[in-house]
Amino acid sequence: MLKLLKLEFSKFKKSTVVIMLSTMFLVFFPFSLAVGKIFDNFRTGLPTSDAFFQFTTIWEYLGYAGNWMVFFFLGVVMIYMVTLEVTHKTMRQSIIAGLSRNEFFLSKLYIALFISILATIYYTIIALTIGFINTPNPTIELAITNEWAIPRFFLMSFGYMTFAMMVGFIVRSSGLAVFLYLSFVLMIEKLIRYGHMELIGNKFTKFYPMKSIGDLMPLPLLKMADYIKTKDFDFSLLLSYKTASILSIIFILMFVGLSYISFTKRDL
Amino acid sequence: MQMEVLKIENLSKNYGPIKALNNLNFTVQSGQIMGILGPNGSGKTTTLGIILGILKQSSGQFTWFENRYEKHRLRIGSILETPNFFPYLNADENLDIIRQIKGVEKRTYDDLLELVKLKGRRKSNFQTYSLGMKQRLAIAATLIGDPDVVIFDEPTNGLDPEGIAEVRRTLQQIASQGKTVIMASHILDEVEKICSHVTIIKRGKLMASGNVGSILSTDLTLELAAADMAGLTRFLEAYGGIRNITKSGSIIECNAVESLDAAVLNAKAYQNNIKLTHLVSRKTRLEEEFLKITGDKKVN
Repeated sequence: MLKLLKLEFSKFKKSTVVIMLSTMFLVFFPFSLAVGKIFDNFRTGLPTSDAFFQFTTIWEYLGYAGNWMVFFFLGVVMIYMVTLEVTHKTMRQSIIAGLSRNEFFLSKLYIALFISILATIYYTIIALTIGFINTPNPTIELAITNEWAIPRFFLMSFGYMTFAMMVGFIVRSSGLAVFLYLSFVLMIEKLIRYGHMELIGNKFTKFYPMKSIGDLMPLPLLKMADYIKTKDFDFSLLLSYKTASILSIIFILMFVGLSYISFTKRDL
Repeated sequence: MQMEVLKIENLSKNYGPIKALNNLNFTVQSGQIMGILGPNGSGKTTTLGIILGILKQSSGQFTWFENRYEKHRLRIGSILETPNFFPYLNADENLDIIRQIKGVEKRTYDDLLELVKLKGRRKSNFQTYSLGMKQRLAIAATLIGDPDVVIFDEPTNGLDPEGIAEVRRTLQQIASQGKTVIMASHILDEVEKICSHVTIIKRGKLMASGNVGSILSTDLTLELAAADMAGLTRFLEAYGGIRNITKSGSIIECNAVESLDAAVLNAKAYQNNIKLTHLVSRKTRLEEEFLKITGDKKVN
């Protein structure tokens, strides 16, 4: 595993695209919390900016910001790491130099796992740092009260990474893969769900891959609205964390499986 | 003792209705410099792609060192088509990636870069290299890990004459180290100059395979002309060791055994009142054999 990770590092350590997108992730992620300052201008019962910067809610707000940051910056990095090797035929070169197809595939899977772990560690560090600075009388117990936010964030990150990897392996062309990745998450799945709701009804409309992964770190305001709503109706906007986690694991396995089949069964 | 390095048995590859390879069979023994020769689109790169694991065969099989490819892939160094490296990395960094794949100890690449004359540009990014330099870096990459077999696909493609000469020199140097070399090319002269053995394929089918000497045979090709062409033809038919007599314009072409002495032939023709106005004796070239084997009028 270390050998393959080291190999990936050697390949991309000087890639401008990877460096640029990773730096943007590192910079924008903590600063995304600054959006919370806007909420101080409202006096409508919405949470104040304190909720964004203090325990225990910081885990939810930062997690939701991370949901977008990982999806956008790191997802595109992952696609690039796969498709660049097709564009420059280094995928072929790696195989003819002696890497087996399984090893090549594992090197991409490991890097997806590694990036997800690093993103999760970064999320944890930012949440703890900002939380301890801004929470009055912070305690360890308060800091770690977060409904398994850290594993949920990891699962969400790995979900986006494996989805991006799958799109990269199947589509192979950088531009088209990024376009399909972004449009599937932002639009296509939503349209399919809308069609599903119109044709079949509301049942299972939440059981879609990006919906499941996104619901691991949902918009906290949506969660609040969901809470208010479910008190009166037998309907919720979000999946429970448990359901979202189980579905995400199933979808991750599917993404990995489809990537593997696509890569190993095709000519390079 | 010679060992069977590569054995290809009934290898076929179909792209839809198109048969890129059609039951191809040939073997490569250790120490051979095997040229895979054929016109563009004959299936040379497809064959190499399959035996290197990047293309899937439709049927048939192949073995490396009498075993599965996966077991011996690190013993093979190869370039397939164009050189493929990371454009934003320099020569050392790109070679280091190949080293990591091969699982070889960390090392400097002075000797390899010296061999391919890239030492002076080792810190320049791959994307700034000329085609010849890229090709030479690819040759250096094939030698990492001291492989037993090196494979080159059209190694002089797109190079200028100086680049071609440099690459050929490097290939001959590699071959002189006793490595088994497999080289696909459509350039007959290249194969003739470098290879000890040749496999000729056309439209995915094996046309001939063997050592260059046997493919070339040991024949001489004679070109003759005389005022009395009919008499010359009769004289040649009666002369021992001459065959395949054909008239081509005002010249008669024929093959003769290697031991035939052109001066003796000339003297005997004179004794038979046939005054030769034209007599050329030369070794049969691979191009002529290639044309004969493939039935093509033109070669690339």
